[in-house]
Amino acid sequence: MLGLEFPPINEILRWQDLTNSFNKISLIAVAAAIIGSLVFLLAGSKDAAVAPTGIRNLAETSVEFIEDSVIMQTMGKEGLPWTPFLLSLFIFILLCNSTGIVPIIQMPATARIAIPLFLSLLVWIVFIGTGLKHQKIRYFTNLLWPPGVPVALKPLVGLIEFFSTIIVRPLSLTVRLFANMLAGHILLVTFALLSEAMFEAKTHVPLLNIGGILPFFMLVFLTAFEVLVVFLQAYIFTILTAVYIGSSTHAEH
Amino acid sequence: MEAISHVVAAGLTGDEQKKANAAIGAGFAYGIAAIGPGIGIGYIVGKSVEAMARQPEAAGMVRTTMFLGIAFTEALALIGFVVFILIGL
Amino acid sequence: MLTAVVIQSGSAFTVHLVKSDTTVPANPTAEQTTSTDAQPISAVPISAVPISAVPISAVPISAVPISGEVVKPGPSPIAPELKEVAWGGGSFVVFAVLMRFWLFPRLKKGMDARYAGIRSDHEGAEATRSAAKAEVAGYEAQLAGVKAEAAAHIDAVRQTLETERTARLAVVNAEIAEHRNAAAAENDAARLAVQSQIESAVADVSGRAIELAVGKRPDVTLVNRVVADVMGAGATR
Repeated sequence: MLGLEFPPINEILRWQDLTNSFNKISLIAVAAAIIGSLVFLLAGSKDAAVAPTGIRNLAETSVEFIEDSVIMQTMGKEGLPWTPFLLSLFIFILLCNSTGIVPIIQMPATARIAIPLFLSLLVWIVFIGTGLKHQKIRYFTNLLWPPGVPVALKPLVGLIEFFSTIIVRPLSLTVRLFANMLAGHILLVTFALLSEAMFEAKTHVPLLNIGGILPFFMLVFLTAFEVLVVFLQAYIFTILTAVYIGSSTHAEH
Repeated sequence: MEAISHVVAAGLTGDEQKKANAAIGAGFAYGIAAIGPGIGIGYIVGKSVEAMARQPEAAGMVRTTMFLGIAFTEALALIGFVVFILIGL
Repeated sequence: MLTAVVIQSGSAFTVHLVKSDTTVPANPTAEQTTSTDAQPISAVPISAVPISAVPISAVPISAVPISGEVVKPGPSPIAPELKEVAWGGGSFVVFAVLMRFWLFPRLKKGMDARYAGIRSDHEGAEATRSAAKAEVAGYEAQLAGVKAEAAAHIDAVRQTLETERTARLAVVNAEIAEHRNAAAAENDAARLAVQSQIESAVADVSGRAIELAVGKRPDVTLVNRVVADVMGAGATR
């Protein structure tokens, strides 16, 4: 038996409650909102006429990223009014994710299901609301029976479409973000624990303890990988939101 | 799978044996759930690289579509991961 | 079943071994605190702790580490906690509303203004460039006109030169021909004179020779005619 036992999942995920109704996940979410607002506040108060530098450059780059590689690729030009919503979604998720790789904090707020669930329910409401606004009540019929479906297939197609749009979409959005961040977090915890256990293990040859540096390198490498995942998950959540909203503005499928 | 659980469960009783079985099942659940999406994502990325090499001017569009495809495919593996958490831990 | 729970708080690691049993949740059967300078994890062999031998109540509660982060069963990891939903959702909604109505429009206005400025600058540069291009085209047209004019001038001058030259050449040729004719006439005259002189001389000599040979002076006209015949034959030969 090795001297390493993995802690139960609640131990690595559930942070101590600060008060009865406020824990560190909530703290991270609030901090993410404040940091995001602060960045854009500072960026907006700089001189707009000169070439952007520093924080304004950061903010403008993110705006252009959302406009060029999220909205223009999925919704086209008429989707540009959605930029503020998608931008705040992207920034918020990115900041909540990135606490998972910030030393000392090391806990992605999105590795708890609460925030992803709320965000995807919000997205769900938004895209259904958009569909109702653009297509009135025909949205639901268009949703269940895309134009051009033979009558004989209507019950089957309706069932499939109902499931894939109304149920699977928010579920998969939630699970994708939450499970990706949780998996990354568990990976990091595993290698940190392994590294620590190898450094502190009592062996006959103390030199062997240096072997603990191998999982430590793996930990560093995985942290670098998590940087990619953090960005990619925020991007994918945003782009899927854009796709869903774009698909409910038009009847075609 | 059952043989392994028998070996592991030797000397355990009742509740513990159940938990051991659950842990083993969870491992298999995630392992098997990862096969299909693994193949799928490999296929998507490979084809996307092929497309980008053939038409570098369409690389942006291909990349976006590739990420979308990966996201949809990966959801299956992630559902497996959630099941793993639910029954194993 | 024993589970080692490692909790990091600052530089100190707290390890406690807990019996994670569903019936008695989070009841420590044995605990041990290791700091960075304390004993390593494996110092307590897990199997050495007789689980059944240690009665649960035998461990004093005060032995639980001060850090207080004992394993609580907690909700299932995929069940959302209401406070997290409320705080996370609330902060996102506030952030999104702020972005929508205040922060983003402010940033976007500046960006649009700058881009419009850049675009107008571009257009100005484009206009200047096209103006310069038009100017260059005009200059080139002018240049072509001047070149054509010069070529016409050159052609005209060449034409006049040519005619002048041919005229002059004709005059000179005529002069040369005249000279040649004059010289030829002179030549002919001289030759005729020389011929007549020679003829008379030959006739004279022939008459004298015949006189000497025959003793009688031949008829002068006859001799002359014979000489003229012979010389004419020699001249034609």
